[in-house]
This record gives sequence, C-alpha cells and structure tokens, in this order.
Amino acid sequence: MAYVRKDAGTLTAGEKRRFVNALLEVKRRGEYDEFVRMHVAYYASDGERGLRTAHMAPSFLPWHRRFLLDLEEALRRVDDSVTLPYWDWTRDRKATSAPWTADLLGGNGRRSDHQVMTGPFAYREGNWTLKVGVTEGEFLTRDLGRRRAPIDLPAKSDLEWALKESAYDVAPWDSTVTRGFRNRLEGWGTGRGSASWRNHNRVHRWVGGVMLSAASVNDPVFWLHHAFVDLQWHRWQRRHRGARYLPATAPGSGDAQHGRIVARRERLPPWDVTPAELEDVGRIYRYA
Amino acid sequence: MVISIGGAPVGAEDGAPGPARPGPAGPGPEGRTRREVTRGLRACALTAALAPLLTAFRAPHPRSGRGGGVPDGTAADRASAEWASSDRVPFDRTYRGCRIQGVWIPARGAGEAGRWHVTVDGRPLHLMRRADGSWLSTVDHYCSYPTPLEAARAAVDALPPGQRLRAPDPADDAAHPHEGGRHGVRA
Repeated sequence: MAYVRKDAGTLTAGEKRRFVNALLEVKRRGEYDEFVRMHVAYYASDGERGLRTAHMAPSFLPWHRRFLLDLEEALRRVDDSVTLPYWDWTRDRKATSAPWTADLLGGNGRRSDHQVMTGPFAYREGNWTLKVGVTEGEFLTRDLGRRRAPIDLPAKSDLEWALKESAYDVAPWDSTVTRGFRNRLEGWGTGRGSASWRNHNRVHRWVGGVMLSAASVNDPVFWLHHAFVDLQWHRWQRRHRGARYLPATAPGSGDAQHGRIVARRERLPPWDVTPAELEDVGRIYRYA
Repeated sequence: MVISIGGAPVGAEDGAPGPARPGPAGPGPEGRTRREVTRGLRACALTAALAPLLTAFRAPHPRSGRGGGVPDGTAADRASAEWASSDRVPFDRTYRGCRIQGVWIPARGAGEAGRWHVTVDGRPLHLMRRADGSWLSTVDHYCSYPTPLEAARAAVDALPPGQRLRAPDPADDAAHPHEGGRHGVRA
C-alpha cells in the first residue's frame, strides 16, 4: 500500500510533531550527517571530468528521488507513520508561511548572524548541531528572501516554463542546455544575475544560509523542497503521456558526454538502481 | 612548486592590486615568513594528495601557457595576454572586510590540468567549473559566476555575518577514493 506525501501547509499538529521528532532522532543516531556528506560527495560539476549523477545531469531527478527515499526510510524506521511533506513554494511564499513555523522548521535566521532562533532546529534547543559544513558555524542559518538584495521565489509560471517541455532532457545533457524539462526545473540558466537561476536553484538561493552551500542538506527544508521538485517530475509525466527519461542509451565513445552521465538503463551510483526503475514509484508513495 | 599562497608578491603582479589593508581576520604582514612557507608546503602536499581529483579539472577553453599572464609589451600584446589569461590573473583584494585572494596553480605535468587556489581571509574556498566556463563555490553552490574573483565575492556575500570558512582539515590531505570527494567541506 503506497503511503502519501502531503503538502506541509496541510499537516495536522500531530503530523508535524511526528515528522520533527523523527528527524531529530535520525540526527541523534548520526544517520543524518551521512546524508549531508553524501550530497556533498556527489556534487560534481559539468566543467570538470568524471561522472555526474546528482546535478547538472539528466539523473538530477532520479538521484534526488532515491536520496529522498533513503531519508524517508530512515524516518520511517523511527516512526512508520511519518512521510516526507513537500513545500509548495508557488503557494507558500512568505518568510512566515509554511513550513517556517515554530512547530515545523522554525523561522528565518536573525539579522545579526542569520542564526535560526525559533523552532525545533534552533541551535539553542541542543538537537541540531551542524557537523558537516563549509563554514565554522555549528548553528543552522537562513536568510529567507535575501534581505540585503531581496529576490522572489519562483512562480507558477516558472514551473510551467519547465513543465511544458516535451523532452525530458536534451544533449549535451548538462547545465548549458536551454531546452528540456530537467534543466528548466533544475534551474541552470545562461547569462548572469537573477535570470540565471531558476526554479530548483532559485529556491536554494531564496532560503540562503546553509541551503545555498554545498552542505545544503543541513537545513531540513532541503527535503521539503526536493519533495516538491520530485512532485513536478510526476506532474510532467502525467502531462506528457509516454515521455520517458532521456537519454535512453549512453552517449557513444566519440561523444564528449561519454561516461559522464547515466542513461535510462544504466546504474545510478551510489545505488544499485537505474533511472528507469525510478520513473514510476507509485507503488511506494503518492502525492496528496 | 614555486607558489606563495596568500603572499603579497602574487597580488603585486596583478598590476591593479586591491587595498593592501588585510581583512579583520586576514593574515597580517608579520605572518608572511615561516607561516607563509608552511602554508605553501601544505598546499603543495594537498595538491599532490588530490592529484587524481585535480586531474578531473579541465579547461573548457584551452589557452596558451603564458605563465601568470603578466601584461607586457605593446597594447596589442597586452590585450592578447589579457585575453589569453583572463582567467589566470592572480587577485588579492579586500571585499566587504574580507581578504580574497586567488592564484592559478599551473599543471605540473602532461595529462594534468591546473587549478585555482582561492582563499577568503586565508581559508580555502573550493571552486568548481561549469561547462560554460563559469565558476561556483561551495558557499554559493547553486549559481555560477564568470570569474573566480566574482565567485569569491559572491561567496563573501553569501557567508553569514561574522562567519569564516572552516580551516582546512589535516585529513583532507589524504586522498578520497569516494567519487567526487569532500570538496573542502568539513565532514
């Protein structure tokens, strides 16, 4: 029986409490920091050599789908009633909306050092000390909306710009492609400034603090954000019936992307799973 | 390797050095002796240890090897040299109270690519390159910038007030078999 991932804005007080407690327990057990490390380790950029799996590549969506399933399994080992909620940032757009409430993820960082002071992940609560990070700070940081130079979250029209693409991804399958659902959702643009970060990337920037860094998994909103990104893959599949993950086969030996991306039926490191096997997970979970 | 990481000589080659005043937590002139050498050696050890990882860097636009790209000769020469090494010019600036320095470390042999060594207040800032030639850092990881200097400035903009990059971990000197490595992240 598939379980249901719900909109964070619709959770009951009990659902929020159980989700938060499961996260804190996974952190206490030391499992959470392994997720942070793994995301750091698999962030490979496309201007460098080697296989890319998690970003700037077609497998951005299946990689994160599987990553979320792993965290969700860890949460459900603690409490099997828990599922990952998603944050619909096209609807909950303020620094005070869901999920930024004291009974879920807590609010914005304070102005002086961007330290999150409210909610269960505030440093002073003693349950959320950052172990893996780019900076010296051990506390969670956020700068919602980037106070120094305010920006907006992506809008429904930005998602639509991605969802209307009929091709899952296009050659050369990296951060430079301007067509294809995957990169329009992942959000690597051309040029500079505000227009160059879209959808997924833009949300990381809007949250700021650790969410903007290589150790973005330290902010639990990472999971709620990526659950919503994952939901877009499902929506895209429903809209473009029969459209599949691309590329279907691996680029040949003469192709610059040879050995650098994962084709539909190739293994997706670090797991023993293929993108094809992750295209339909309807038997595991569905979105409400 | 004859490179002084974080030393004034590198900044002086720029031709347009930034303010000489170091950032509040930046290395002072008095530290530019033994500590400087030690830091250089550590950087070399790190480079050697990470060689397999560093070979993963490729220059999307291979350019002529004109050393550090110090402008010389005629204006045409200078323009050409600047173009040829536009992304190889060392920098040493103070930006919003932080000292940002960067130097291109050339390849040591065939089959190896060079890399940038960039620091903020003396602490290493790991940069990655995008296929379009732009740069992103571990602090500002979901956006890229045309040059390492701009990526370093953006990292300063994104650092929470009062926070420094973490100090290099001696464990980073060990090679990481794990795909992708830790990218200078405290782990």
